[in-house]
Order: sequence, then structure tokens, then C-alpha cells
Amino acid sequence: MGSRQIVEKSLTLLRSLPRISLNNIRDNPGSKKTQKRGRGQHGGDKHGSGNKGSGQRQNFMRLGYETGNNPFYLRVPQEHYYRGHHHRRQYPPLSLLTLQRIIDTNRVDVTVPIDIASIVKTGFYSFFPDQKHFGINLIDEGVDIFEAKINIEVQWASEQVIAAIERNGGVITTAYYDPHSLFLLRNPKKFFETGQAIPRRMIPPPDAIEYYTSAENRGYLADPDQISEARLKLAQKYGYKLPVIENDPKYNMLCERKDPRQIFYGLEPGWVVNLKDECILKPKDEELKRFYSL
Amino acid sequence: MNIYVRSRLFRSNLINNLICFYSTSTPEVIDQNDRVLIDDSDETTARENEIEKKRNKSGLSAAHLNIMNGRRPYETPKHLSHLTVKHNRKLYGKYGSESGVNPSLCWPTKLDIQEALEYESVAFPYTIREVMESAALRKQEEKLKIQKRETDIAAKYAKLEQWKKELRDKLAKKAAEAESAKIKKERLVEEVRRHFGFTLDPRDERFQEMLAKREKEQRKLEKQAKRDAKEKMMFAKLQQKNVEIKDTPKR
Repeated sequence: MGSRQIVEKSLTLLRSLPRISLNNIRDNPGSKKTQKRGRGQHGGDKHGSGNKGSGQRQNFMRLGYETGNNPFYLRVPQEHYYRGHHHRRQYPPLSLLTLQRIIDTNRVDVTVPIDIASIVKTGFYSFFPDQKHFGINLIDEGVDIFEAKINIEVQWASEQVIAAIERNGGVITTAYYDPHSLFLLRNPKKFFETGQAIPRRMIPPPDAIEYYTSAENRGYLADPDQISEARLKLAQKYGYKLPVIENDPKYNMLCERKDPRQIFYGLEPGWVVNLKDECILKPKDEELKRFYSL
Repeated sequence: MNIYVRSRLFRSNLINNLICFYSTSTPEVIDQNDRVLIDDSDETTARENEIEKKRNKSGLSAAHLNIMNGRRPYETPKHLSHLTVKHNRKLYGKYGSESGVNPSLCWPTKLDIQEALEYESVAFPYTIREVMESAALRKQEEKLKIQKRETDIAAKYAKLEQWKKELRDKLAKKAAEAESAKIKKERLVEEVRRHFGFTLDPRDERFQEMLAKREKEQRKLEKQAKRDAKEKMMFAKLQQKNVEIKDTPKR
């Protein structure tokens, strides 16, 4: 009986209570989180640097430092193959294939001697004298299909390349230019607009002199007699008949060489080229002449 | 710093100074004064200027307009750098003789030449021939060094077999000596053991004493044997001599 009474009682109580509505309910406990107002962009966070120590203070260690360990870059013994590589002369390559393409597409005039300035002008080759680049290394890629008769001056060439050019009745010379001259050859217009007199080309450094004086490399400082002998030798070695350039109609063009002090074909040191007036100014003062002919 | 002031007065002065050193070949630029009748009364020029001003709708500054039309941007220097030789050379290079710069500036002065020569004497102290010779010399030296080393190695290689044999013999001799010494020692130990009649620890004092005694005896015996052998030899020699002495008087 007692339980029945209780049920009755609670039912009456329920009936007396108001109906459940939005006015008298509350959220589940823990369902709402009070927003905290942080300070700064990320709510006063550590900005990804973590808490305490080296990370928080952002004292970035130098590269390779391993906090007192024997660092990896010092752990292996040194190898000296590349010692001083950043001082060595570099010759960015140009392949015979590209050269053939330049000639075939008529981007360079083969009726006049070709030098680094005319090759740079084609847009197929670029180099940076300030990055120890000392000019063209003509490489033997496409050596079998090369068939142009040219008078070319490069800064480095292998034996096969020399043979490939001479087989076709052409002439190749390896010549050294100091970085300053290379800047001029790379962009002659820029130099002429500075209104300076064309300087002299400097002599090669001692470690390059051997290359540029040897007839085998067709160096520009080599003895011409030795060069003709070397041409013959190379023809015998590679088994081709050396075309006689003396009988060639282009003999004069093929024989043209720059003076060891000359930078541009047709322009002597000491001359001033003015592109606006389209004129060349030549010095007449004896001292200047002496200086530029040294 | 080389300073070149572009004032009328100073320029004429410069020209007077420099023209004696450098004369230039620019006749075609200068000789362009054809005989054309030009009405240059103030009124007409003012009108022309007015028209030009009205025509210019670009909104460019005077300097930029000059650059656009291939003239030097301004006649009066605006900055210290505009007084330098380098800047004036550039003006000449870019705007030609119209710029009004004396082209003799394009060449180095006597002082510049001296400095350049001094620099070159330090930077390139040797002529090409000298450098070539020194390079050849160095190459020759290196070649000689390699040759010397090669002959040295060849001479040593020729002796290699002999040296190997010597070493092998030496090692074999050493091993044989060690072996004989070991056998001797073993024999001694065995003898001592036999003397005591039972196996005694070789580290025992008695054993050690006995061993030392035996060794001493052995050494004595060896010495005696050696002496005997020597005496024998001497005796044989003497006998030989005696025989010889006996033989000689007979003849």
C-alpha cells in the first residue's frame, strides 16, 4: 500500500509541475566550455617553439653543430680530391651538336671567324665570368655528324673535337681570356656604352700557359709551324685526309687569328667604339699607343 | 677621384689641355652643318617652343623626356657622381658627341697609365716566355723525380728474392735454435725427475736447485768438450807441421 501511496504522490507532484520547455531546461553538464581570452595572436601561445630551453629561446645552432657530439661533417676523414675546386678555372661546355645546330639554323655567320662573342650572341650558350667561368669547352657530343667548315676560337677543346673540325677543312684555336675580357665579350654593347677604350687581353696564368702554348691543343701562343705539324699528325692518328687550306677559297678567313692582346675581331686595344655616333675613335698620342701595344 | 666639371669655361680649358695629347677621328659627326635658311628670330623660336610644349602630352619629366629622345637627361650635374670621369664617359658612350662630352676623356690619363703599368708589373711579373720556360722546367723536374723513383724501385725489386730468402733462412735458423734449446731443457728436466725418482712440481725449490746444478754441469761439460775439440785441433795442426818439417829435410 505504501508504495502505491508514493507513486500517487509523485504523480500528483509531476502533474503540478510545469511542462518541460526551452525555458526550464539546462545544458548537459560539461557540454559548454567557457571561452578564455588569450593575449596575442595565437591566444598567448608559444608560437610553435615549445616550452623552456634552447627551442623556446630560438638559439639556432650553426649548421652541422650537434651540441657537443663529434659532428657528422667532421666524423669522416677528409678527402682532398676537390681541394681548391672553388679556385679552379671552369669551362662550361658547348657540344659540337649544338654548334652544328647554330650553324644550320644560320644563327652564326660562318664566312667570318667565330669566337665566344658570336656564340654568346646566338643565345645557345651563356657563361658567368664572375663564377670562375673562363669560356667555352667545346665537347665531342655530336662529333660524328659535325660537318661545317669554320674558323672557330674556343677556350678549351679535346683532341676528338680538334680532329672533327680539321677533318672538315676548318680551323680551331684555343685562346685564353682573362675574366675582364670575358665580360666584354659576353656583352660588348654594355661595354661600349661605358665609353671606355678597349683594354688589352691579359696573359694566361702560369698553370694555363702550358695548355695555351702547346700545338697539340692548338693554343693561340703556339708556334704556327708546330701547329701545322700537329694538324698532320692528328690527321694520321685519326685516319682522315687533311684538306689543304692553302688551296681553299676561304683561305684568308681561315687564316685569320686574333692578336694575343686583342679581344674583339677587327677592334684593337685602345680604340673607343661609339654606338650612338657609329664611329670608332683611335688614340694618336704616342704614350697611349705605346701603352696599348705593350 | 677624378672630377670633371661640365661648365663651359672649364670644358674649353680641358679641351685646350687635352687636345694636344689626343686627337680623334670624328669628322663625320661634326660636319653636318648644311646651309639651310632658318628663321631664328625670338618670336618664331618662342612660338616653336610653345608648340613643342603643347605637343608634349607624355607627362614625363624633362630628364625622362630627354632620355626618351636619346639625349643626355640634364645639362647641369645633379649629384657629386655626375662630376666623375666615369659618368662623363658613360654619357659619351650612350649619347655620343651630342652629349657635349670631350671624347678624350675616354682614354686613361698619364697617371692612370702609370698606375695600370705598376699594377701589371705586380700582377704579371713574368713574360710569357719566362712562364713557359719555368713551366717546362717544373715538368722536367717532376719527370726526373718519377724516373728516379722508378729506377730506385726497380733496383730494390731485383734484390727482393735474395732478401726474401735471407729472411726465411733467418727465421728457420731461429726456429731451429729454439727447438734445440727446448729439447735440451726437456732432457734436463727429465734427468732431474729421474734423479728424484718421482714427479716433482717443476716450481718446487728442490727441483729448481737440482735443475740449476744440472745446467751448470752441462755447461761445464760443453765447455770441456769445446776445449777438447780445440786441443785436438791444435794437436792435429802440430802433427801436420811436424810431418811437414820431417818431410822437408828428406828432399
